Amino acid sequence: MPTLMDRILGLDRRWIFLLVLIAVVLPTLFPIGLPTTTTDSTRRAFDYIESLKPGDVVWLSFDYGPSSAPENDPMAEGLMRQCFVKHVRVIVSALYPLGGLALANNSLARVVAEFPNLKYGEDYVNLGYKDGAAAVMRQLGESIGGAFPTDVNGKPIAEIPMMQGVHDLHQVKLVFTAATGIIGEWWITQVHAQIGTPVIIGPTAVSAPKYFAYLNAGQLVGMLGGMKGAAEYEKLLQVSHPELATLYRSTPHFTGAKGMDAQAVAHALIILFIVVGNFAYIQHRAAARRRS
Amino acid sequence: MNLEFGRVTLFVLFMLIPIVGIALGVRAPALRSRLPLLVAFFAGTIPILAMYIPKNFLSGPQGMSSRLDQWLIIVAGFALLLGIVNVIQNGMRKVSRRESGWPFSVVLLTGLFVTGALGIYGAVSHQGIGFLPDGRSTPFKWIQDSMFLPLQATIFSLLAFFMASAAFRAFRARNLEATILLIAGGLVMAGRVPLLDLLAAPFPALHASAAAGTQTLGKLTEWIMDTPNGAAQSGIIIGAALGAASMAIRVILGIERGYLGLGGGE
Repeated sequence: MPTLMDRILGLDRRWIFLLVLIAVVLPTLFPIGLPTTTTDSTRRAFDYIESLKPGDVVWLSFDYGPSSAPENDPMAEGLMRQCFVKHVRVIVSALYPLGGLALANNSLARVVAEFPNLKYGEDYVNLGYKDGAAAVMRQLGESIGGAFPTDVNGKPIAEIPMMQGVHDLHQVKLVFTAATGIIGEWWITQVHAQIGTPVIIGPTAVSAPKYFAYLNAGQLVGMLGGMKGAAEYEKLLQVSHPELATLYRSTPHFTGAKGMDAQAVAHALIILFIVVGNFAYIQHRAAARRRS
Repeated sequence: MNLEFGRVTLFVLFMLIPIVGIALGVRAPALRSRLPLLVAFFAGTIPILAMYIPKNFLSGPQGMSSRLDQWLIIVAGFALLLGIVNVIQNGMRKVSRRESGWPFSVVLLTGLFVTGALGIYGAVSHQGIGFLPDGRSTPFKWIQDSMFLPLQATIFSLLAFFMASAAFRAFRARNLEATILLIAGGLVMAGRVPLLDLLAAPFPALHASAAAGTQTLGKLTEWIMDTPNGAAQSGIIIGAALGAASMAIRVILGIERGYLGLGGGE
């Protein structure tokens, strides 16, 4: 007759799936509002952007697809909000082929709607998608027009007021890449290392560990690691800019802070699974030893 | 006509030599397989030389290296086209032979043609692939927002379920290494979220202690990520970079020829 431990070890995985579903859906529908602690890498990113002056130019690259949008969208939108509050101009591009431009357009539309005084072509510009990310980055160091001759609407960038005086990445104060996969790394190796433009990265949580090497080497100004990084950044934004605190409290859109509740419960559940699974495994192994 | 040195050199290296080589290769097939080696050699050495030789014809804004970067963007576009052709060929073959899973290929090809056609229509009609002047979405954007984005997000979301199942079944303390990994993983997982605050939520008396515990756990997580993880990642990145550099040298020198698609060493 199977023991309790045997039954735990042989648990039908559909029960696990059901528990995960409950762990994600309930906190999403009924937010708990758990607090967020900030990490050094996020604070460094925030402080650098905070130190920019009105009129400075930031390059925001959407280098991710819909699969990681819940993690990356809040970062990119947070960055745009901080820049627009500080009157820093933003150049938007997308180098990820699977939906990067779609997410850029949607995020831009959401944030621009919150700042009615913004003017396209003066405060921000959307250069759209370009294939061949590493080559595009190298070209941006020589000439932005060489890589993006027109904006997303087909308007020559020479005719866009904001692009006057912004010939290449040397005139850009910061590159922020919200990234999944290797494109984020290329901004460091192709742009920061060769052109010298400071880079902040917003990677998915699963790829964040890799970037600590670049952070430690001083090749990254800062990093927003996964949804937690986005939630930390939102918290810093709300503390420094009360108008954004109001916005974040009332926005119907998804934010990093909203996602953290579900992530906390899901992490707790996975830790519980690991503990129970290992407890059952150790008991099972001890029983097997006793029998032999 | 602008006959600057860099432009003429690029024209000779990447246009005249390949054309002459192809013409000669009609009689000598061995030449045809060696010609790409020559192109790869120059394409690989020019950007390297541009890093060290500050001459305008080589590393200037209109120099050879910069022009090669522009060409690379165009070539990358053709690579995308090659991928599309490959998907169409494979899909058509599956459907025509009624191979296993052929209905999925029908869905794939339908999606490809319909979305592609709407994208091309958006470009030709100048209405674009975003919003129409009246604020409505173009058909391309509707497909993108209503089908592509949620479908791709859904596929990735399934990972959460499989990860939880794998954590329960496979993440075991079988030996010392696995136990260290387990403890480090558990600590990072706990430190990345306000786990203690979550557990203490129903008990107001414990809120302050939970907040302090979360701070401590967060600092421990930061240390794990910064120090042991950062050191290991540096080693991995340096190792991979050295490997990539040696592979690049092999390709430039024509020792590595796998990209020619000839099989074997040739």
